[in-house]
Amino acid sequence: MALIEIRNLVKHYRMGDSLVRALDGVNVTVERGDFVSITGPSGSGKSTLMHLLGCLDRPTRGTYHLDGQLISSMGDAQLAAIRNRSIGFVFQTFNLINRTSAMDNVTVPLFYARKTRLHRPALEALERVGLAQRAGHKPSELSGGERQRVAIARALVNEPAILLADEPTGNLDSRTGRQILRIFHQLHTEGVTVVLVTHEMDVAVQAQRIIRMRDGKIVEDLPVDDTMRARAASAEWHEAGGETAATADLPSQAPAAPTDAGGPGGRE
Amino acid sequence: MFFFLRICRVATQGLMANLLRSLLATLGVCIGVGAVVAAMSVLEGATGQIREQFENLGTNLVFVLPGTRRQGGRVVGRLESLELDDATELEREVQFIDSASPQVEAFAQVKMGSRNQKCTLLGVDHDFARIHDYEPERGRFFTSGQSNSKVAVLGSKLAEELFGKRPAVGARIQVTNLATDRRLSFLVAAVMEKKGTAGMQHVDRAIMVPVRVAMRNLIGSKYLTSITVRGVDATRMDETEDAVKRVLRRQHRIRPGQREDFEIWTQEKMLGELTKVTRIFGVVLYSIAGISLVVGGIGIMNIMLVAVTERTREIGVRMAMGARRWDILRQFLVEASIVSLLGGAMGIAMGYGFSHLLEKTTEVLDTQTPIRAIVWAVAMAVGVGLFSGIYPAHKASRLDPVEALRYE
Repeated sequence: MALIEIRNLVKHYRMGDSLVRALDGVNVTVERGDFVSITGPSGSGKSTLMHLLGCLDRPTRGTYHLDGQLISSMGDAQLAAIRNRSIGFVFQTFNLINRTSAMDNVTVPLFYARKTRLHRPALEALERVGLAQRAGHKPSELSGGERQRVAIARALVNEPAILLADEPTGNLDSRTGRQILRIFHQLHTEGVTVVLVTHEMDVAVQAQRIIRMRDGKIVEDLPVDDTMRARAASAEWHEAGGETAATADLPSQAPAAPTDAGGPGGRE
Repeated sequence: MFFFLRICRVATQGLMANLLRSLLATLGVCIGVGAVVAAMSVLEGATGQIREQFENLGTNLVFVLPGTRRQGGRVVGRLESLELDDATELEREVQFIDSASPQVEAFAQVKMGSRNQKCTLLGVDHDFARIHDYEPERGRFFTSGQSNSKVAVLGSKLAEELFGKRPAVGARIQVTNLATDRRLSFLVAAVMEKKGTAGMQHVDRAIMVPVRVAMRNLIGSKYLTSITVRGVDATRMDETEDAVKRVLRRQHRIRPGQREDFEIWTQEKMLGELTKVTRIFGVVLYSIAGISLVVGGIGIMNIMLVAVTERTREIGVRMAMGARRWDILRQFLVEASIVSLLGGAMGIAMGYGFSHLLEKTTEVLDTQTPIRAIVWAVAMAVGVGLFSGIYPAHKASRLDPVEALRYE
C-alpha cells in the first residue's frame, strides 16, 4: 500500500467574485521512503497541494489516503492528530517560536502528542541535525541554517511518516542551503519519506522524483536522472555565473551523509 | 494534569514575552479586586464595630425617641414630643421597668482655665451610669439628690484633653451651649472610665450634667432627645415595649389609628435597620467595584486580542504541529486567567493594604478582611479572566491554519 494516494483531488477557492481552481484533478502516489520534489511556477498549485498533503486544508473534491487512512473526510481534531503523528513540517521561514529555546521549539509536537517525556526525544532530534549543543539557545541566537535545522529536528521529533518541506532553502544562502539539503538526503537514507516543495529546479533535482505542476494540474511526474541534474546545474551555473547550490558538493545520485567539515554540526 | 501544566508554562512564556504589557493588563483587575477587598474589609469592620456597640447596649434596653418630622415625605428632623413627665410616668406605670432615664443632647464648648474643648453635652439623670454599666474612674456620678445641682461628670477623653495629668474632680468648668450661647459653671463630680459608647452615645468625649439643669439653664427647652428604658427581665422585652407604647400613647393623647409622635427602638430593631443600611452601602460599594472589574476585563480582552493577532503565525505553526483547536483555546484562556489571577492577587494585597491604611489614618474605622473577601476576589479574578479571555481564545482557535501560517 502506498504511503500517499491522491485521486482526482480538486481544490477551489472563491476570491471575491471569481473562482480560483488551485488544484484541478490531481492524482499522486508516493511510496514509503520516496524523496519527491513538487515544483512549478507561482500559482501552479504546489503550495495548495502541500497544504492538502500536510492535512492543513480539506479538498473540495477527491480522495486523499495517507497510510491507508482516508484523510479527505476527517474532522478538525482528527486532522490535528494526523498532523501531529504523521507529518513533519519544515517551512521556508523556519517558523520557530522566538521567545523559547531550540529545545522548547522541538518539544512542541511532543507536547501536543500528550507525551510526558519531552526532553530526551527532543535532544535526540537535535542530535540528529547536529545541534544538541545549542539546545538552550533561542532562535534569535542561532544562524539561519541552525534555525532551519532546529525546524527539521522539530519536524522529526514525533517520527512522522512524511517530512513535508516548503521551500526549505528559500531563506538561506547557497552554502547553508546545501547543508540543509544534505540533511534531507541523510534522512532519506535513514528511511524518512521526504516531500520537497520548491520552485528552484536545482533544489528540486536533489529528489529521486520530480512532480511538475502548472495551473493546478500535474504536467510531469518523472524520476530524476543525471541528465536532468546536469541540465539544472548548467542552467543555474549560467544564471549565477559560477557555483550553484545544486552542483557544488552534492552527490549526483547516491545521497551523502552530512560531513563534519561544513556540515550541519558547525555554525554557519 | 501534566499537559495542563505545560499549557500554563506556554501561556506564561507568552505573557513574559511582553512583560510590561501583561502587567498593565493586570492593573484593571487589580484595581477592581482591590476595591472589592477594601470595600468588604471596611464593611465587615464597620458592621462588626457597630454590631458590637449595639450588642453592648444590652438586650434589656428600649430607646424612646421623638417621632420624625417630615416635609413632602422626607424626614427633616425630629418632633418635640417627649417630656420629663413621660419618663416619670413610664417608671410609675410599667411594672417591668427598672428605670426610665431621660436624656437631652446639645453641642457644647467646655472651658477650663485657658483650655477650650468642643464636645457633646448630655443632660442625663442619676440612673444613666447604672443602666449602661458605666463606672466612674474618679469621684462619684451625681445622685438623685443632685438632680438640680450644677455638677458635671466628664468622659475620660474629654477630662484628659481639659486637665491632662492634673486632677479634674473638684475643679470648676464653664460650659457653653453652642446653639443657644447659654453658659453655666459646673463643679466636676467625677471622671468616668473609658467606655466608647453608652447607649447610643459616644461618651468618652462628652460632658454629662443633670438633665433638669441642662434643660433649664443651657438648652431652654422642656423637650427630651430620648428616654432610655431598662426592663427588669430581658425575656419580657416585647411586653415592656408594648407597655411603653401604651403609656406614651395615653400620655400624648393619641387616638386609636392615629400616628404616634414617638418611636421605640430595641436592640433587635436597630440591628435590623443597621443590616439594611449596610446592605445599601454594600450594594453601592460593590457596584463601583463591579464596574472596575468590567473595565479590567475589557482591558484584558483588548490585550488578548492584540496577542492573538500578533501570534497568528505562531498559532498556525502550533496547529501544523498538531495542536487541536481546543488546545489553542485553552492556551489563550489560561493566559487571560493568569493575567487576571495575577491582577487579583495584587488586588487582594492592595485592598488589604488600603483598608489597613484607612484604619491607621482615620483611627475610628475598624477594618477586617474576611476570608470570604479573598475567596470572592479569587473567584472574581478567575471569572473576569475567563469572561475576557473567551472571545480572543475562541478567535484564535477558529483560525484557518493555512491562513495563519501565511500571516505576515
